[in-house]
Amino acid sequence: MSADLSTDAEITWCPGCGNFGIFNAFKKVVKKLEDKGVDRNKLIISSGIGCHGKIVDYIGLSGLYSIHGRSMATVQGIKLGNPDLKVLAFAGDGDAYSEGIAHMIFAAKRNADITVIVHNNGTYALTTGQFSPTSRKGFKGPSLPEGNIEEPLNPLSLLLEAGASFVARGYAGKIDHLSDLIVEAVLHEGFSVIDVLQPSVVFNNTYKLYNEITEIIPKPAKSFEEAVKLAKEMRDRMAIGVFYKVNKPVFHQELMGNWNPIRDKLGRKERLKKVEEFFQQ
Amino acid sequence: MKKDVFTYIIGGKAGQGTKKAGIAAANFFTDLKREVFQMNDYPSLIRGGHNFSAVSTSTSKIYSHYMKADLVVALDQRSYDIHKGHVSKNGLMVYNSDKSKGVDVGIPISSEAKKYENSDLIEGVSGISVLIAMVGFDKKKLDEIIKKEYGRNVEDNLKFAHAIFDIATEKIKNKVALNQGDKKFVLLSGSEAIGLGAAAAGLDIYFAYPMTPSTPVLHFFAGNGKKLGVVSVQPENEIAVANMAIGASFTGARSMVGTSGGGFCLMQEAFSLAGMVEAPVLFYVGQRPGPSTGVPTYTEQGELLFSLNPGQGEFPRIVASPGNIEEAFYLTAELLNLVWRFQTPAILLSEKHLGESSMSVTLHPHKAKWAEPVLHKGGQYKRYRYTKDGISPLLFPPSDMLIKWNSYEHDELGLTTEEADLVAKMHDKRLRKQKSLVNHLKKMHTVNIFGEAEPLIFTFGSTTMSVLEALGYGDLNMTVVQPIYLKPFPVWELEIFKGKSAIVVEQNSTGQLASLLREKAGIVAGASILKYDGRPFNPIDLANRIKKVVKVEC
Repeated sequence: MSADLSTDAEITWCPGCGNFGIFNAFKKVVKKLEDKGVDRNKLIISSGIGCHGKIVDYIGLSGLYSIHGRSMATVQGIKLGNPDLKVLAFAGDGDAYSEGIAHMIFAAKRNADITVIVHNNGTYALTTGQFSPTSRKGFKGPSLPEGNIEEPLNPLSLLLEAGASFVARGYAGKIDHLSDLIVEAVLHEGFSVIDVLQPSVVFNNTYKLYNEITEIIPKPAKSFEEAVKLAKEMRDRMAIGVFYKVNKPVFHQELMGNWNPIRDKLGRKERLKKVEEFFQQ
Repeated sequence: MKKDVFTYIIGGKAGQGTKKAGIAAANFFTDLKREVFQMNDYPSLIRGGHNFSAVSTSTSKIYSHYMKADLVVALDQRSYDIHKGHVSKNGLMVYNSDKSKGVDVGIPISSEAKKYENSDLIEGVSGISVLIAMVGFDKKKLDEIIKKEYGRNVEDNLKFAHAIFDIATEKIKNKVALNQGDKKFVLLSGSEAIGLGAAAAGLDIYFAYPMTPSTPVLHFFAGNGKKLGVVSVQPENEIAVANMAIGASFTGARSMVGTSGGGFCLMQEAFSLAGMVEAPVLFYVGQRPGPSTGVPTYTEQGELLFSLNPGQGEFPRIVASPGNIEEAFYLTAELLNLVWRFQTPAILLSEKHLGESSMSVTLHPHKAKWAEPVLHKGGQYKRYRYTKDGISPLLFPPSDMLIKWNSYEHDELGLTTEEADLVAKMHDKRLRKQKSLVNHLKKMHTVNIFGEAEPLIFTFGSTTMSVLEALGYGDLNMTVVQPIYLKPFPVWELEIFKGKSAIVVEQNSTGQLASLLREKAGIVAGASILKYDGRPFNPIDLANRIKKVVKVEC
């Protein structure tokens, strides 16, 4: 594993793409987490399909480059297989909020101990700019040349309602702030999601807009209701930071207690003994 | 003609406990050291409708229930009407005289049941009272069974059972004595056999979304997983099920999923993902009649051709189907081993008839295979290392070395590639693995052959049990050929049957096994015996159909 987390893969994101902000923030995250005692070998990543997905190729960490919308399910499986691992799912807005929305809502509902980082650029960039679940109304793309006729989803209020125990918004243009958010999310025990505002320089260049309207909030909201209210402010002012954070029982512990299927696996002899015992019942 | 078979059928509405009464009877026969086959028939509803349980028992090996009963207990008019044709010549129909009119023995089951709480639910107990009375056992035996089988409301159940027993004893004239066998067998359902086989092979996590007829395996692990060291998970849908299982396998956890045709449709992209990332995941597909929702709680073998080619793209797929409940145990373990050895997804293809029926088994757990992967032994790790046999050793996190599984076409390290020579090279690696798999199967037992005489009967899956019982019943001397593995198809074992006259017996309407035999092995069916009404074959009917076909053939 290379010390600087690089791989041999050629980076093919557009120059200036918001993905670079997330990529650079995440490299800092790995080092910050190591300072806090999290072994990088135990950080496992996954991604879906889209420009964001290439991050699994570009970062020198172990993981599974998954398929569209499924990285959130993949990492839940990894967490259940070996709860000692810390797992992160990278997802696009199409990934997380369209194809994989059921996985997101249920991961939040069951408080799966995973971190989801959504590269939210409001468009399907890799497939040349169609509208996405978070595209603003009127957004023009090749599949809706006269403009998006649907209202955008509000992922944060949706996930708060679904029971997410850590909800945050970051901005790819504020790398240090974003890396702090990701560190906090990974260290949070339970479902954590960071919706990252990510400009697509070619299909939805929002740098100027986000530089004007994003505003760092110093602390999470005092209550669930306040967090929902904050999540719904989207037009003139857009908060970035941790919206909501609460401690709740974590899915894998509720399901398995301290059992770790890898660490505690029964050997063949023990298994056969247990199967024999079943027959003798 | 097979002797010594005794068949008991109990029918009623859903919620009256006919399945429970069938299981209680099956356990009673097992205690008599007899062999048992029990089948449950029920529509997809919770109350009402028509449910029945058919239990056949013999002192020798029995592979199927019969629909010619020595005793039918009908709890309502519909059961009486449906099953009156199923009473054998010397058999007996006992009916609920409060709910139906009939000949033979009427017992006021409902008015007796009304004396107790939950009178609807208690009525099924009457079946056991009637059975015990008919086969000449006393109240002591009846008490023993009620206490063992009906844990709740024991007092009410005992009183009710006694009342029915007294009436039945008086009314039943033609009592039947059951011979005892010489060995007590274990009674096991197909679903339990699958669960136990997987557990014996080292399964760590079972993922499933409820869908008949695979649900009993989910329930099995939910109820017994803690004891066996297997975790069970019910995620939000089949897509999550399959993707979570792939994620779990990435950590080294032995993973399995369960579903039926409709759910397996949703798993296609994940099945293909498993092929690409080379994830060892075992898919249990319990067939029911389709297409779409089909006839959810009944049995069919209509998904054979579908299961041979799931997922897009080219990669090795393994499909095998057990011919009986004992084989289900060993085959599940063997498939879990194969997916780990060859790092590619496999399908355990079965049917409702196997999954939800129970039979007497003799099993030796230590003969079950243990899921054993080829592991990385040092040096630089390359997830998709080019090897002669196409199998790249596995390494699990946490590790200092990079472990990258990739859904895109990839290089040896698991990094995405679209370079022409690398795309072809990775294809070649998977093709080599496919060849290694075939070579491995050539050393394994992939086809069951019963008997030596011609003509030949080809069949697969649980229909094998029906065919074997039909041959026994009809005193037919023929050879039954049952391919256990359906992909890769064991053509090397079937070479000897080329050009010979063959009858194919299967439970679908288009003859899918016959197509497979013709296409892959050059074996042409002279006749097909098909059944596709959702019900398993009755050995008596099947024996007659075979006889007819053989006559025509000759």
